[in-house]
Amino acid sequence: MNSRTRSGTALSALRRDLLISRKVMHATKVMHSALFVLFLPVLLFAAPAEQNDIPVSAEALRGDVEALQREAALLEEENQGLRKSLATQEDAELYIVVDTEGNELQLRRGNAVVHTAVCGTGSRQFMAAESGTNWFFDTPIGSFTVLGRERNPVWIRPDWSYVEENMPVPAPEDPDRLVRGVLGKYALLLGNGYKIHGTKWTNLLGTHFTHGCISLGDDDLEIVYRSVKTGTKVYIY
Amino acid sequence: MRKPTLRHTIAYAICAGSLLLAAVTWCNAGGDEREALLVQQRMLRERIETLKYEQDYLLFEKMLYRLHSKYLVIDTKSRTGQLKYQNRVLKDFKFTASGNFSALTPRAGIAILTSKVEGKPDRHALVFGKSFVMKWKLSTVPRREASLPAISLTRKELLSVFYAVETGSMAFILRSGTQN
Repeated sequence: MNSRTRSGTALSALRRDLLISRKVMHATKVMHSALFVLFLPVLLFAAPAEQNDIPVSAEALRGDVEALQREAALLEEENQGLRKSLATQEDAELYIVVDTEGNELQLRRGNAVVHTAVCGTGSRQFMAAESGTNWFFDTPIGSFTVLGRERNPVWIRPDWSYVEENMPVPAPEDPDRLVRGVLGKYALLLGNGYKIHGTKWTNLLGTHFTHGCISLGDDDLEIVYRSVKTGTKVYIY
Repeated sequence: MRKPTLRHTIAYAICAGSLLLAAVTWCNAGGDEREALLVQQRMLRERIETLKYEQDYLLFEKMLYRLHSKYLVIDTKSRTGQLKYQNRVLKDFKFTASGNFSALTPRAGIAILTSKVEGKPDRHALVFGKSFVMKWKLSTVPRREASLPAISLTRKELLSVFYAVETGSMAFILRSGTQN
């Protein structure tokens, strides 16, 4: 073989190698592009997790979820205990509520209103006697208890009743002080002379007209009297 | 050494592609689990928030059962309220809400009665800090409290509540869905 033929063969081998290496380079470029396209979604999903400061690994998430489950269970247990503790203080007892501003009496049991009545409460008037004694006719506010129940109650006229009518005040034991029929058929005693009772002045119910007692109409008084017992709680506000 | 042919390169690319696809599929499976855990985590956080709020209310009731102080419980969803004393309900009332009032404002939880505004005649209002104002139609509300969410009662009911509570009395604003 002469030198010219030998150099021609070497050249063609060199060309073939060059062609192959170009093809390999092209394939490598294609692979790089494919890798980028395939991993792009992974990069996109990973980004928001970092932004929200959420543990990235499932392991860490599982740990966090377990801790939260324990916290929720503990809270539920505590709340259950509190509910039980509150339930022990609930009762099904009937009680009386008097709204002195709205002149309304309610018979209630828990959240339920059993009966509503228009009532009369203290006139909020001030009266002074020449002797220097003075009175303020207000219904007392607070928590009371029915201390006693009376049928056909007798009114023992207090001093102010005489002063109001410009009459001389009799001795405390004077039988003139005993008056029947003015307090209605029934009375519930609240202490310190205050009562829930009937009235002759039914047209004044719904206003502040009494000397401190709570007045009711006959029908309402009957319902209240028959519903409550000695010991029933009375809340006046 | 044999030079790599085009056929070899293509085979190599197919193998690498298959491996990549397998890796991506595995990543997606892990992603599904992570997604489920994230949902569970969010739900648990919401549940804990509700339980904490419920606990606040129960602790409030427990505390007030022992005190000699009347207090209010306001349900913003049903637009109703209760005047309570210890374990007793003294009064139920309904109310209407002002324009800027929604179930979200005032914020659920405890509010303190900071001032009793005595307008004349009987145009009173109750101001609960920066939380809300309780009033009736013709109440005199101070200018700086005028923008607060307001709940309106009837005149009679407002006056009953007005004279029943004192400055410092507490109100609990229930969030919708709370067990009472």
